[in-house]
Amino acid sequence: MTDTQSSRLAAETATGGSIVDVSFTVNGSATSVTVEARRTLSDVIREDCELTGTHLGCEHGVCGACTVLVDGQPSRSCLMLAAQAEGRDITTIEGLAGPDGELHPVQQAMMDAHGFQCAFCSPGFLMSTVALLDENPDPTSEEIREELSGNLCRCTGYQSIVDGVERAVKIMKGGSK
Amino acid sequence: MSANTSGLVGQSVKRVEDDRLLVGNGRYVADVNPPGVLHAVFLRSPLAHATITSIDATAARRAPGVVAIFTGSDMEAITHPFPPFAMQPDLYTPLYYCLSSTTVRMVGDPVALVLAESRHLAEDALELIEVDYEPLDTVASIAEGLSPTKPQLWEKANGNVLYDHVHTFAPGNESVDAVFAGADRVITERLSCPRQSNQPMETRGSVVEVDPDTGHMTIHNATQSSHMLRWIGAALTGKQSTREAAKGIIANKERRKAFLAGAKSFLKENAEGLKAQDNDGMKSQLKADKSFLKHANLIGVGLLGKDDYPDVVAQDIGGGFGAKGSIAREDVALIAAAGELGRSVKWIEDRVENLMDGGQAREEDLTLSIAVDDDGTFRGLKVDLVIDQGAYPGFPVGAPLASAIMKVMFPGSYNWDAFEMRSRIVATNKGKYVAYRGPWANETWARERMVDIVARALKMSPAEIRLKNLIGDDQMPTAMITGPKIDETMSTKKTLERALELLDIDQFERDRDTALAENHYLGLGIASYHEAAPGPPGYWECVNPGTETLLNEEAQATVETDGSVVVYTSQMPHGQSHETTYGQIVADELGVAIEDVKLVFGDTRRTPFSILGTGGSRGGPIGGGAMKYASRAVREQLVDAASKLLEADVADIEIVNGNVHVAGVPARGVTFAELIAQTAGDGFEATRSYRGKGDGGWSVATHACIVDVDLDTGKVTFPRYLVVEDCGPIINPAIVDGQVRGGVAQGIGAVLYERATYDDDANLQSATYMDYLIPTSMEIPEIEVHHMETLSPGGENDFRGVGEGGMIGAPAAITNAIEDALSPFGARITSQYLPPTKILELAGVISPD
Repeated sequence: MTDTQSSRLAAETATGGSIVDVSFTVNGSATSVTVEARRTLSDVIREDCELTGTHLGCEHGVCGACTVLVDGQPSRSCLMLAAQAEGRDITTIEGLAGPDGELHPVQQAMMDAHGFQCAFCSPGFLMSTVALLDENPDPTSEEIREELSGNLCRCTGYQSIVDGVERAVKIMKGGSK
Repeated sequence: MSANTSGLVGQSVKRVEDDRLLVGNGRYVADVNPPGVLHAVFLRSPLAHATITSIDATAARRAPGVVAIFTGSDMEAITHPFPPFAMQPDLYTPLYYCLSSTTVRMVGDPVALVLAESRHLAEDALELIEVDYEPLDTVASIAEGLSPTKPQLWEKANGNVLYDHVHTFAPGNESVDAVFAGADRVITERLSCPRQSNQPMETRGSVVEVDPDTGHMTIHNATQSSHMLRWIGAALTGKQSTREAAKGIIANKERRKAFLAGAKSFLKENAEGLKAQDNDGMKSQLKADKSFLKHANLIGVGLLGKDDYPDVVAQDIGGGFGAKGSIAREDVALIAAAGELGRSVKWIEDRVENLMDGGQAREEDLTLSIAVDDDGTFRGLKVDLVIDQGAYPGFPVGAPLASAIMKVMFPGSYNWDAFEMRSRIVATNKGKYVAYRGPWANETWARERMVDIVARALKMSPAEIRLKNLIGDDQMPTAMITGPKIDETMSTKKTLERALELLDIDQFERDRDTALAENHYLGLGIASYHEAAPGPPGYWECVNPGTETLLNEEAQATVETDGSVVVYTSQMPHGQSHETTYGQIVADELGVAIEDVKLVFGDTRRTPFSILGTGGSRGGPIGGGAMKYASRAVREQLVDAASKLLEADVADIEIVNGNVHVAGVPARGVTFAELIAQTAGDGFEATRSYRGKGDGGWSVATHACIVDVDLDTGKVTFPRYLVVEDCGPIINPAIVDGQVRGGVAQGIGAVLYERATYDDDANLQSATYMDYLIPTSMEIPEIEVHHMETLSPGGENDFRGVGEGGMIGAPAAITNAIEDALSPFGARITSQYLPPTKILELAGVISPD
């Protein structure tokens, strides 16, 4: 019996047999995991993939800290089961910067704008912003506020985050920083 | 000596923290996973008040993956109860253990701890623990807390009123009552503030890492004070008999010495302050409950006789707002469990737990009477305050300290002939009351609300009555009626004058008329206040004798042999951007780039001792002061060494971009590393302790806002919100603006959205974010922040704290604006919480209930 098989057997014994194999892509890397069916996508991202940049703030789908991109769409990874990620393409905060560490324009803009304070919510905001600007590259201030209203921040009062998005728009349009 | 600064202080330097935080490389406590770690979950009471008649964990212990289960009685055998802290005359602080064994006093009261191989398995096992509860009648409100017919939460208390004390300040010839009798009018109103919650986006959490070879513990924790956690964690766990402790005292000399070393310089610096501790507070405590003496003895001897002492390592923290300044009962249980099992344990609180037991605040009833002459001159102020402490007192600070600060700050920036305040604290079956950003803030809310009520009664404008009574520069220096000194840094009147200039009142009046056509009512509200940030010398002695010692901060600055600058603080950043602001201070002092400064924090193995860590608006003034003087001392050492090496007068040595040279000849300069190498030194080091030096200490602001009340929906929006703040010289304007705006956002939440709601049987009704509403980007408006930077006469390190003020001013300005908007309906606002239904009731659109 291989190690994987024996650990699978142990897990099945412990959980009544609800084990699934899931394959998906995370930040461009093909990933396969064997997990209890009840484990969430956020559990797997943080624990199995060891990508701890995705945060859990409420675990009931309100705060948005756990937001990741699933096939480009912003999704609450705390509300998705890992099994639902089968065949999907996942992007997390760790996947935003370039391979040489060059910041994504949204990251650069948030830094320039003093966007965050404790920054626990920042992975969710950054992923939501990337998705927003992908769909609407030139949003109005109202559209930004509306789109980001699914993410909670307790530190900033949001103004610096909205400023950051507006700066990102300028950078991505090739304007001045 | 020439200035040689790089001039970063005062600039919106980009945040050093963002290099790691914005790319997902932060290290929050949930990210810590020692090998073989066990996952912890707590079984919590579903009832608000009950006797535990039996608890049976047999089946749960056999559940898959379960390693251990501790019940309340298991924990009583191996831990000490939380002792009273900062005792005050007429205050009783109940003693309680980390888990409850015989009585539960709130929904969410922890009764058992399960440790299993995964969190899922631990949660599975929770359901198998059988607890029989015998329900008791509940105490669900302040009124019930004051009622003598309700059951008592704490056996040794006298009813549920744990504190009842009258403070009187009448410095003139007249008594408070005589001042009131002599005034033209006395206006009285009862105000109330419902329960709120701090709600940082990261919940609480702890990972107690146990070295499998030595048993040594390293506690990773989301704490605002790592040293406090280390001491309390060590003190309350590993309970042993006096005899065992005595053996340990003989055996562990070296480890004990190392443990105490950190606190030694603190004790030396604060010897006098510690002597000033109020013995009457201790007497009140012992009168009610002598058990503290027995526990204190065991705790003290046990601490000295421990085999080993834990370290605390706190790194990135996802906000706290005061809630993480408390030592969690859960933390004590986890440390004790890890010690018993010899294994690492991890607990990450979930949001439901956090809403139940992660800290609640601000629930207070306040009856105010203002004695005033017909011309609007304030004569006297009387306050009757009752705080709902909930079931368990926050440790170390909670309702008693909030009450003590309110006693000093209630008179605000106004002139009074007399002031009297009765303070009561009641125990109820609710989540524990903790410090929340400006824990005393309801003095500003209630006073500024009341000032508007008085102005209306006298047919004066809110601005006019404030300007008439605010203490002006022409009276300075002077003192508050409650004692603290006032100098020009208490610039409240100037911030109000500036705010009035910035508001376009005529335009507002025109907009108000236009809005009426669409059933929208506009209102303008202002609030002005000063706050101790952290207060001038002597301030904390007015609050509670002996507490001045808590302020102290120590910093260490070093230049290592490779030339790198590493500085150490006892502050515990959790969103305030210390790495950036301290980097600015140190870079300026040492003449290096901010990138070259590394700040070490949160690690008790490396950082200097402090009791409070971060809290009380001390980061800039006290922690920043210690940092400045420590790095200045290192600069002197560098300059001294360079003057010898370069054979020049110390006055001629400059440091620019890390190049130490004789003024005018940078080409012949040396780097720090070269200087150390060429002088055969082993680096430079200086440590400085600081707690303010007569630098004013007041942070000041006026908030002014225009609200738009939609009487179709009851929704309140903000066409304009402005803050004129004065925190003295600003280290980083972008960071200051962020602190102010974040505080205002929490104030908006408090008034319009957030409430920790309990039903009549003290069942929590707001246990998720579907019910406890945190405002989003759609609810928080743009907030204008205008700065004044009043310097303190003779002040040298003149920074003042700015983290709390936004929250202090906002509820008053907003509720005043809403009352103004609803003035056509004769609305009187007496509650701080105004959701849409309440707005519509006040306007008579719907009727109550």
